[in-house]
Amino acid sequence: MDFFFEILQFVVNNFIFILTVILFSSYILLAIISAITLRSYLRKNSYVDYNSIILAPVTPSISVIAPAHNEEITIVDNIRALLSLYYNNFEVIVVNDGSKDNTFKKMVEAYDLEKVNYFFDYRIPCERIKGVYKSKNRSFKKLTVIDKVNGGKADALNAGINISKNQLICSIDVDSIMEPDALLKMVKPFMEETDKPVIATGGVIRIANSCEVEGGQITQIRVPEKFLPRVQVLEYTRAFLMARMAWGRLNGLLIISGALGMFDKETVIKCGGYSTSTVGEDMELVVRMRRYMIERKLKYDVIFIPDPLVWTEVPSTLKILGRQRNRWTRGTIETLVTHKKMFLNPKYGILGFLSYPFWMFFEWLAPLIEFLGYVYFIFLIIFGQPNWSFFYLLLAFVFTFAISMSTWAVLFEEMTFHKYKHKSEIFMLILTGILEPFFFHPLIVFWSIRGNIDYLRGVRSWGKMEREGFKKKKKTE
Amino acid sequence: MVCRKLFICLIFGIISFFTSHSFANAPQSNADENNRRDSAYIDSITRIKSTKDDTSSEKLNTFSEKNYGPLYDYYLDKADRAYSIGFFKRAKRFYEKAALINPNSLYIKYRISQIDNTKGKLNSLILYFNFDKPGLLIRSLTYLVVYFIISMIIILLFILMNRRRMENIEKKEQYLKERYQELLVDYLFSSESSPVILKQFNDLLASSFNQKILINQMIDLSINLTGDAKEKLRNLYLVLYLDKVSINKVYSPHWHIKIKGFHELSFMDITDANEEIIRCLQSKNEIVRMEAQLAMVRLNHEDPFGFLDHLEKPFTLWEQLTIYETIIFHNIPVPSFDRWLFSKNKSVIIFAIRMIDLFKQKEAYSNLFWMLVNDDPEIRYNTIYVIGNLKNKEALPHLKRLYKTENYQNCRAIIQAMGKMPDISMLNFLKLVLDKEDDVQLQIDAAIAIHNMGEEGEKALEKLLDSDYKNYQIIVKHVLDKRIN
Repeated sequence: MDFFFEILQFVVNNFIFILTVILFSSYILLAIISAITLRSYLRKNSYVDYNSIILAPVTPSISVIAPAHNEEITIVDNIRALLSLYYNNFEVIVVNDGSKDNTFKKMVEAYDLEKVNYFFDYRIPCERIKGVYKSKNRSFKKLTVIDKVNGGKADALNAGINISKNQLICSIDVDSIMEPDALLKMVKPFMEETDKPVIATGGVIRIANSCEVEGGQITQIRVPEKFLPRVQVLEYTRAFLMARMAWGRLNGLLIISGALGMFDKETVIKCGGYSTSTVGEDMELVVRMRRYMIERKLKYDVIFIPDPLVWTEVPSTLKILGRQRNRWTRGTIETLVTHKKMFLNPKYGILGFLSYPFWMFFEWLAPLIEFLGYVYFIFLIIFGQPNWSFFYLLLAFVFTFAISMSTWAVLFEEMTFHKYKHKSEIFMLILTGILEPFFFHPLIVFWSIRGNIDYLRGVRSWGKMEREGFKKKKKTE
Repeated sequence: MVCRKLFICLIFGIISFFTSHSFANAPQSNADENNRRDSAYIDSITRIKSTKDDTSSEKLNTFSEKNYGPLYDYYLDKADRAYSIGFFKRAKRFYEKAALINPNSLYIKYRISQIDNTKGKLNSLILYFNFDKPGLLIRSLTYLVVYFIISMIIILLFILMNRRRMENIEKKEQYLKERYQELLVDYLFSSESSPVILKQFNDLLASSFNQKILINQMIDLSINLTGDAKEKLRNLYLVLYLDKVSINKVYSPHWHIKIKGFHELSFMDITDANEEIIRCLQSKNEIVRMEAQLAMVRLNHEDPFGFLDHLEKPFTLWEQLTIYETIIFHNIPVPSFDRWLFSKNKSVIIFAIRMIDLFKQKEAYSNLFWMLVNDDPEIRYNTIYVIGNLKNKEALPHLKRLYKTENYQNCRAIIQAMGKMPDISMLNFLKLVLDKEDDVQLQIDAAIAIHNMGEEGEKALEKLLDSDYKNYQIIVKHVLDKRIN
């Protein structure tokens, strides 16, 4: 029994300890690489005049594809915002993915749409397209609306790709708010490609809760008033500015957020488009595109842009947030399982040796291991085993580390894009960062466990995502 | 597959090697004894306490009664330190050396036995270390906790101070901008004597920050100035020795400062640092290279595009567009771009083809034709595209011939080019494309090209509309629908 106990202690303690050390070290390392890359990016782009892209006669053509499902409240404003993006060579394809409300009717009325004789090929399989609509008003000639049978977001994006006439596709969430110059910033890496073709670019998603919105544009940026969205501000800042930036630099980025990503259309089509069998279609597509290029020994690049390009409303209730995180977990597992061949496979270089193991251990398994750690600790307490003095020290270390990372995230934001102007907002963010490990993190672990269980149970649904809607600018007298 | 398994084995092997090697040799600790929950724990505590007491009293006695000498103390200190941070082999080595001097020390014997007894046993890393015996881990964690707390406080203070600093800078910048604008307007347009204004300028140029603001103001102003006023502004730049500031920037080892220098010199048309700028044309840093190219286009008055002759690195679309924009906005004389059609650099050839199109250089036709037989498909694609834009019908038979051998993208470009310069002689060929090709885009392109031929083309399409063969009806309807195209 003693021997068994000793082995158990050895395995559990050392495994968790080593994993924690690697996790924390990689966070620090990623943050350092991100900081260096960010500095270089900001310096480089301080001289860039994006207007030259607007005026340029030879620019890559872009199809902005926005799937819409039951978006009747915001769809008209959102399309207007998309049509007013700064770029000279683009079309907007809105895919009505079998909405049950008046989404389609509202679009038809607002933009004077009528069915056209559009001939296209189902180059990527998708649900039946019932009709393609264009506006009778030439002011909206950039707009194309597809009405199709419901098939989910990935399917709607595939339908949009089939209709697209342009070189690049830009997938967005129709309920997100794009920065007017987002296309300019995203297309630039495609224009800068040398012998390495750029196959995808992704940008930073920012949180629009409590921000004021008018005419589909953010007019006043604020830190969210509610705790849950506010803590997600820190989460997103850490994820985008302190991690993805570094992965982009290391050419190991595995995900481009579904809320905004730009892709080379032909590569997407060759890879078979978005996968409809996963709820993490955004990550899965990027991984598949990378695999496609590597397996054919083709040079390529995936670029991450640190500029805030799109604003989105994040869940502000535990119920909705839980569903979202559950879905994210399932999406991650599905992608990792689908591409398990990459794990520690030298053929995939940094993807196989760094990105994939990182995602596997620290995105998928870390919450599970953490949960096991809790169980093990309870077991130790029951048997009177814990070394309390060491426990308190380790606890202090973990919490101060977590809070410190959040503080660094606030600093990153402060030194780069400086979106939150009031001092009180900085204090609010730091206070949130202090509370996060106590109140928010355990929930994340819980939802991840639920996601794992749901994955094993074969749950494949997205889960209903209700939104509160953006805060409208108050009318002044 | 085998290779991957080997790698996995290797990784786990390394991990297990480190865990077993580093920690399995760790001596049995108080905490481990505690884990076993046997009386040995109490014994060991008692023993270690007693031995420690013995040793301290032994050391005291040694000091007062029998002195083993500084070497003994030195070995003991070294050994204790190595032991406390977990370097057990090293610790044992020093304990053994100390034991040679004082073979009767209970403390040394106990430590050596502790190290020896635990060889090969599994040990828990975490539970080994405890506060009674601070080890490397405990100390590291404590330091890190303190570091994290201090860093949080420092970051918060830094952010607050930075905000204050930025507010001050903003205020100062605003003040300086207004002041400089007044002085610049006075200098350029008023009758007030220059020396007075110059003195005012000099008084305000105390710091590099002030210089920076003035330079930015002068650059902004120069964009909207022409003729004498621009020349006067340039003279002011020289008189205030701001050119020296810009030249120093050009020679800076930091690329972002260098670029700033390029900008300033090209806006002020100062050629003194051209040599360094030319050197930067082959820089590995793509941003420096691009900015040097832009500067050269404006500062090399004899041959603004001469750098293209020697360009080895890829000339990206972004660089090409910024050069194009510079030509347009700064009235740079447009050269004959066919000069670079036979460059060794593929991207330079593509740039030349694009510029021939944008500046409608019809005199370049004869040379452009040669590009249709270039080995590189991208160059051929651009040539086909430009021939279509320039509506050079002489190329149609060549394009028709090329169609058989070209890749998909170039085939589409050929059909699109035919659509841009409709010619009835191509009708049968385009009908054949429509008939034989299965690709929807090629079919649509061919139908559009037929449609663009005017009356005859439309007739041909109407005929196809009546046909039930293939999907002609839907293609023709698509092409005829003006809302789509």
